[in-house]
Amino acid sequence: MLDAFLSSTISMAAPLLLAALGELLVEQSGLINIGIEGVMLTAAFCAMAAAYATGSIATGLGCAIAGALLMSGLFAVMAVNLAVNQVVAGTALDIFALGVTGVLYRRIFGETGKALTVRTLRGVFRGALARLPLVGPALLQQNGLVYFAFLMVPVLHLVLYRTRWGLKLRAAGERPEAADALGLGVYCLRWQALMISGVMTGLSGAYLTLGYANTFVEGMSAGRGFIALSIVILGGWRPVRIAIASLLFGAALALQFVLQAVNTGLPYQLFLALPYVLTLVVLTILGGQGPVPSALGEPYVRE
Amino acid sequence: MSPVISATVKPLAAMAVAIGLLAIGLAALGANPAVTLTALLSGAFGDWLAVADTLLKATPLVFTGLSVSLAFSGSIWNIGAEGQLLFGALAATACGIHLARWSHVAAISAVLGAGAIAGALAGALCGWLRTRFSVNEVISTIMLNFIALQAVSWAVHGPLMEPSHSYPISQKLPAAACMHWFFPPSRLNCGLLLAIGLAPACYFWLYRTNSGFELRAVGRNPRATAFFGIAAGPITVVAMALSGGLAGLGGAVQVCAITQRLFERFSPGWGYEAIAVALVARLNPLAVVPSALFFGALDNGAQVIQRTQGVSPVLVQAAQGLIIFVLLAFDTPILARGRSATLPHHKQPADA
Amino acid sequence: MQNLLEACAITKHFGATVALDAVDFSARAGEIHALLGQNGAGKTTLMNILAGHLRPDLGTVTLDGVAIKTASPQTALRAGIAAVHQSPMLFEHLSAVENLALGGFVRRGLALNEVAERAGAMARSLSFPVQLPPKNLTGLSLAQRMRLEILRALSFQPRVLMLDEPTGLLAPGELSGFLDLLRALRNRGCAVVFITHKLAEAMAVADRITMLRAGRVVDQTSPPQTTIEQLAALMLGNAVELARPKKSHRRGAEVLRLEGLSLEVDGVALVDEVSLRLHAGEILAIAGVDGNGQRELAEILACSRRPTSGQILLHGQPAGARAMGQIAVVPQNRDQEGLIPGMELWENLLLSPALRRQMQTAGVQRRSAAIALCSVLLKRFSIRARSPRQKAADLSGGHRQRLMIARALASRPAVLVAHDLTRGLDVSAAAEVSRIVREFADQGGAAIMISTDLDEVFGLGDRIAVISRGRLFEVPTANLTIERVGLLMAGVGQHR
Repeated sequence: MLDAFLSSTISMAAPLLLAALGELLVEQSGLINIGIEGVMLTAAFCAMAAAYATGSIATGLGCAIAGALLMSGLFAVMAVNLAVNQVVAGTALDIFALGVTGVLYRRIFGETGKALTVRTLRGVFRGALARLPLVGPALLQQNGLVYFAFLMVPVLHLVLYRTRWGLKLRAAGERPEAADALGLGVYCLRWQALMISGVMTGLSGAYLTLGYANTFVEGMSAGRGFIALSIVILGGWRPVRIAIASLLFGAALALQFVLQAVNTGLPYQLFLALPYVLTLVVLTILGGQGPVPSALGEPYVRE
Repeated sequence: MSPVISATVKPLAAMAVAIGLLAIGLAALGANPAVTLTALLSGAFGDWLAVADTLLKATPLVFTGLSVSLAFSGSIWNIGAEGQLLFGALAATACGIHLARWSHVAAISAVLGAGAIAGALAGALCGWLRTRFSVNEVISTIMLNFIALQAVSWAVHGPLMEPSHSYPISQKLPAAACMHWFFPPSRLNCGLLLAIGLAPACYFWLYRTNSGFELRAVGRNPRATAFFGIAAGPITVVAMALSGGLAGLGGAVQVCAITQRLFERFSPGWGYEAIAVALVARLNPLAVVPSALFFGALDNGAQVIQRTQGVSPVLVQAAQGLIIFVLLAFDTPILARGRSATLPHHKQPADA
Repeated sequence: MQNLLEACAITKHFGATVALDAVDFSARAGEIHALLGQNGAGKTTLMNILAGHLRPDLGTVTLDGVAIKTASPQTALRAGIAAVHQSPMLFEHLSAVENLALGGFVRRGLALNEVAERAGAMARSLSFPVQLPPKNLTGLSLAQRMRLEILRALSFQPRVLMLDEPTGLLAPGELSGFLDLLRALRNRGCAVVFITHKLAEAMAVADRITMLRAGRVVDQTSPPQTTIEQLAALMLGNAVELARPKKSHRRGAEVLRLEGLSLEVDGVALVDEVSLRLHAGEILAIAGVDGNGQRELAEILACSRRPTSGQILLHGQPAGARAMGQIAVVPQNRDQEGLIPGMELWENLLLSPALRRQMQTAGVQRRSAAIALCSVLLKRFSIRARSPRQKAADLSGGHRQRLMIARALASRPAVLVAHDLTRGLDVSAAAEVSRIVREFADQGGAAIMISTDLDEVFGLGDRIAVISRGRLFEVPTANLTIERVGLLMAGVGQHR
């Protein structure tokens, strides 16, 4: 019971963490991408479609990243080059992704979906070690994307605070016109941040289909992108705290399965609503703490 | 270009561009764009029943479109019309099923009132969280959307479930709490009239009253309004309550005028579609009515093309996204520096 | 001597207005070249073009005879042209060293220690005190920020260094040290372009002087060949008489009294026990370096902040929220606090709480009355606008300023408070708004002018006070000299 809970906490946290870390970079550069939900959904669909067509998980991951980059690129054109309102553009991206994946899915796989399944990612470690109680399932039976997600925490910390690129990125998010005056190239930095986040959100979306569902359902991202946005706020725009916040939400998602298995007598909808309620409660308690990038969400037009 | 002309031309051009892109997409999918778009058009306006259906499909969009226009006019990014509408529908149903013995007018008023209040509470909660705890309203309203979905699901599986307990739908509303249908077999009803009547009311509030002025001023320049003693907090809560109330009312109207009961997947996304409706209307409440009619027609036509052309009606969502993109691109500040765009200048909620 | 930087026939339009009209400009290694002109003469535009921030419509920029083709800050910096902007282009939430690291001390990687070391060494070699607070820049004075920005600009080892109005933010006592710094840079072989509208500073330090007026070069000269009076005549062009408003001698009844007004935020007294009395017909000018509590004082008087202690008396009565409508405030920053550029002129009038109350019945705006009032004000204050339905953004800076004053006076206040009344206005516009304020006082109003500009303070004030670290010191007329006020502004010689 407990080991199942721990194991699924970590496995649930991983896609949230990947998406939140990607969004962290984007927000540090001064953009807010509400469309991350749509990017994730597109990636989930692409992963499923490609893996189903070719039978190769690697191709699935590749196509997921490609799809996510395409959507992030669309957002980049709108938010960076055309300097439009980012909240509205992001929301449009979500609606658009929901429509496009829905149309394509029904076009390719028919109305019913016929319980299409693909192989899922397998655990990296096998053998005796992975069978250790508690630690085994939670830490050693996870698939590669989980380790990648958690590896990105220190990597991003170093990138943001110990590299020149990270400093330039933070400068662009702090005061874009001053960054441009120093020749840092704000548009370019923001595009780079969005593309890196595209890769990470792409993997996060692929995780939904190839990591646990092994199929695609319309609208299957189910607000995970929005939860990732809240995780960035909860984590105070810092990678390590974002990892902790992701685990918290992973636990809330995992709790659904555990509590549904135990007959608590409570309506199951309560557990399904738990992550969303948790988001609201935690944001209310901790809301808006930490170094908010000053120019976050402000459209920036170069002179 | 004069403001009036540009306010009409831009949305029309955006729709044309979006339909063009859609046609390309359809062709890529292997469907004949011309045939599909014609089918869409005749599905929406083919005969008088189709027109009536288009009007009915536009009704909830007028409510949610007004809701979004109001909030966005104050730079309050309420993405939660969907949840507010669901809370409204839930409250309306929960209230309506007990009103069998009430007079028609009293029962309808109570049902609509319950819906509006539930939506207003959901909206005001997010406004208050933003004001008091600087919780970003985009996140909080979206979270309430998901919570509302689960609340509806719980209600129709639990306390409101129909008597035989075999389907996840609510009991039917008693006749007293249901709106009259004119010209059967159409289901035309007073709901649309109410919606159309609310549009000028919203316009009046936003552009002719002090509180509407304060909302628009706070949305455009919170530093200036703070300097002149207009507190952003109360007006934010009021605007969110009004915005939520409109969406909740839309949910209640849908229950007592059309569906007469509550069920899962009650809303096909009216709250999200409302963003496109409001932007096409350039946040002007009066323009929300024609804009909602356009999207209602699109929704209605899309159901026909599913039957005849085998193209999924979620195509409409792709179109909505495209229309918003094109409209935003038309208003890019890159070209018109310093000119007023559709949206007020965006400011993040109170910095921590 | 060979020209290092040469700009030829630079022309730049903004919409219909010509900002620069075929301007030639050059800078030589080892000289200080002062670029003079009124506000709006095109000095900053020229700098922005030379620094690659703006692309000229016509004309070429060459460095060492090589044309700089693509206009971008990056290419300009790489070529050796660095600019220091009027309001420091720093990153508030980055540390001081991180701010410097974005400069050219270390070109690759992020060796913050090395950056700090090199910056320290450079500052010492110029005998140039600089503070490097470890966390963020909050609490750093504007003068310190300006130093940080200059240091960062120098880190690119520029051959041409341009400084836009760098002395505006300095306390009077810091000026001579700063001019020494310019000389030190010149002696190192740098071409220093010193943009200012303060003629005395240019005369003190410049080797050459170029005068811009309305986007054209009107004179090229050097200090031995000219005088301040000649320069002033050139700068003002067709001799706008700098109409010094006549001082009022009538002093009426007491209108406003502040008693021990304090504002504490996080244990810091931003406004510290401010007391004053103001009579009808009087203008009190409050001088001070930005960031010494004047903004907070204006906010308290505008009723948008509540003081921690102390009280405000109007006509001897404690002022309640409603009576506060009698104090009209013109905020410091037109576009950020004063107006809503995207809204129409008449709507901007209604930002004033008093007018909003007047122009409504039961919460419904009396729209036509407000529009009519706006038309009247546009005429009375000669605001150049097509109609009250125009957007505030479409007015020029001077006319936006007039609109703010018109709004403040329209509600017939007892007290007018104006913060930086003439900032960003050219001389004639400044004289015009000063005249309006004087007229208000002559008709029995009481006014408080808050300003950093000593010319404005001395020109307009009947009484003069200085605000420094939140404390207000009135300077008795007996020992009123610019030097004394300057010392007080710099925080010297304070006693209660």
